[in-house]
Amino acid sequence: MDASKKTLVIGLDGVPCTLLNDYLEKGILPNLKEILSQGYSLRQMDASIPDVSSTSWTSFMTGVNPGEHGIFGFMELRPNTYKMAFPNLNDVQAPPVWDILGNTVNNRSSSLYDKFNGKVPGGFRSIVLNIPQTFPAPAMNGILTAGFVCPDLRKGTYPESAYDYLKSVGYMPDVDAAKAASAPEAFFDEVFLSLDRRAEAYMHFLESESWDLFIGVITETDRLHHFFFDAALDPGNRFHEKFMLFYKKADEVIGRLFNRFMEATGGKGLFMTMSDHGFTVIDKEVYINNFLRESGFLNVNGSREYFEQIDSGTRAFAMDPARIYINLEGKYPFGAVKDSGREKAVAEIKEALGSLTRDGRPVVKSIFEKSELYSGPAAIKGPDLVCLAHDGFDLKGNMKRQDVFGNSHFRGMHTRHDAHCLLPGSIGAPGRLHIESLAEIILSNYREA
Amino acid sequence: MDHLSILENKSIFIIREAYYRFRNIAMLWSVGKDSTTLLWLVRKAFFGKVPFPVIHIDTTYKFPEMYRFRDEYAKKWGLDLIVGRNEGQVAAGMGPKKGSKLDCCNELKTNALKQVIEKNGFKALLLGIRRDEHGIRAKERVFSPRDGNFKWNYEDQPAELWDQYKSTAEEDNHFRIHPILHMTELDIWNYIRRENIPISELYFSKEGKRFRSIGCLPCCGPVESKASNIDEIIHELETTHTSERAGRAQDKEDAYTMQKLRSLGYM
Repeated sequence: MDASKKTLVIGLDGVPCTLLNDYLEKGILPNLKEILSQGYSLRQMDASIPDVSSTSWTSFMTGVNPGEHGIFGFMELRPNTYKMAFPNLNDVQAPPVWDILGNTVNNRSSSLYDKFNGKVPGGFRSIVLNIPQTFPAPAMNGILTAGFVCPDLRKGTYPESAYDYLKSVGYMPDVDAAKAASAPEAFFDEVFLSLDRRAEAYMHFLESESWDLFIGVITETDRLHHFFFDAALDPGNRFHEKFMLFYKKADEVIGRLFNRFMEATGGKGLFMTMSDHGFTVIDKEVYINNFLRESGFLNVNGSREYFEQIDSGTRAFAMDPARIYINLEGKYPFGAVKDSGREKAVAEIKEALGSLTRDGRPVVKSIFEKSELYSGPAAIKGPDLVCLAHDGFDLKGNMKRQDVFGNSHFRGMHTRHDAHCLLPGSIGAPGRLHIESLAEIILSNYREA
Repeated sequence: MDHLSILENKSIFIIREAYYRFRNIAMLWSVGKDSTTLLWLVRKAFFGKVPFPVIHIDTTYKFPEMYRFRDEYAKKWGLDLIVGRNEGQVAAGMGPKKGSKLDCCNELKTNALKQVIEKNGFKALLLGIRRDEHGIRAKERVFSPRDGNFKWNYEDQPAELWDQYKSTAEEDNHFRIHPILHMTELDIWNYIRRENIPISELYFSKEGKRFRSIGCLPCCGPVESKASNIDEIIHELETTHTSERAGRAQDKEDAYTMQKLRSLGYM
């Protein structure tokens, strides 16, 4: 096997490019610094829209836009109802890179697959650890253990022998984020423990298995950021030292995996780190459904739960993070907008949201229509509108708050524009990188000469 | 009167009452054990000749054994069989691998049925659902109104006391009638044994596995079982603690997922 045809990707959930640059400058990340000195470059990258992990990671692993892969968020509504459903890997409509490399595409297709069909030899073995939105684990050519949300580690791991191993080393699919507010010290302990268990498992698979593509994701970063991102750069914050310590530990893990990989491939393997979105500090949470209610677009019946609160006369509603759906007749039980009235409703909502301000500052940076963002067979399922906010305004789609603006125990919010990718300087088109383009970079590494 | 005869009488009363009230009715036959039992009861209620159409919603993904069984007994029992298929979506290649499973069920089952109802103008449908199948079904009525979107408002249902079934409701599209709502899975098997009702071979163990409920091939998993005849199935059910519907596992996964999403602020 040609050693240059091996790829190691380390995913760092929610790690912003700007923070990495900051920490590199401060000397907190010596291993990354050493890697960068060997001809790699650290580049800012755009995430998918909406910039939520389930969507963006699916874009990463399939290399196509949500209009092709079909994942627009962590939740959807069941057809013809307001009942929530939680899409998982079975709902991903495009084949992930490991299926394209492993000859396990079955009868799925995608524009990326069409591009490489017949051009990579196939039969490559992949090890895929902790990518969000990969539950339940599929039968594949290699090993997979699912990332967030993984309700059952056994069902989330393929094959069974890998589950037995993960169990034996005390591997944790996720930390208990509910602890972050009530018991922050215990939460930090768990985050460090979880990283430690993950690092051991990743090193084990890296060394003891044969593989061609290895993707290992660290998700503790995202958990820390949600609750403690205000500690990242503020020396006065009581969790600042612990926050930086976590980055130091993660840097050590990256360094160990990188060095082991380069030893095994004689320095020829393709290495990259990447994130699914960036993070910034929350100023205000913005509850879009209450804005829609106050603006007369949404009627709510509080005696019901979740999205079943949507009542007759509703013209639009939002789901996390900032997806807006027109309440179309025939599509939803209380649909109140005819197909012919859709454009008018869309225009009115765009105008209303565009003029939303807080203390004189505009909240929404841009509003996209479905057709501007999504193309492909699943595009029809996508939201009618998606908003991107200015940094600091965290757009929320829940139905439980009473005001338009508020704060909670969350301190960090996702950013679309500040994901990162570290990769060899010679690879990747100039200009801004997009998460949907990484799968192609990976597959190109296996293309037959 | 013995237990099974009481259940049978109640079902036959509901079936005759539904036909008397609506006339323009049909029954849904999935070819599974429950709706085949219902079909048997309908035949008994009308002395062997079913006086209304029998609808089979064909997703095109059913087990080959099910198609064979359907055709054999539709002929033997002289049924007026309507095969409902969402031809547009079938032609477009809809399937569990193409769309999401939710889309697939919605197009090939729900919308296929909507098309059949619309085309034939049925006022009521007989269905073989049972109260013990799933938590939400405990709230079902025997006569259950549905609107044009099939929405069932379980918070606003007519009372059903002393067998007084309400069959008029405003703006409702059609009624669902549930003649075997009061039976349990075990009742069904005991009744199948007593009446010697033919059922699909898929229910019987082959190589250590059998199907406990059957539907579309790609989405049905067998359970571990050595029960290869009805007596053995009844014995297994009397001693088992696992649920008939694997959907229960889905409920647990959903509850876990919701708790996780909530902890990160997504709910």
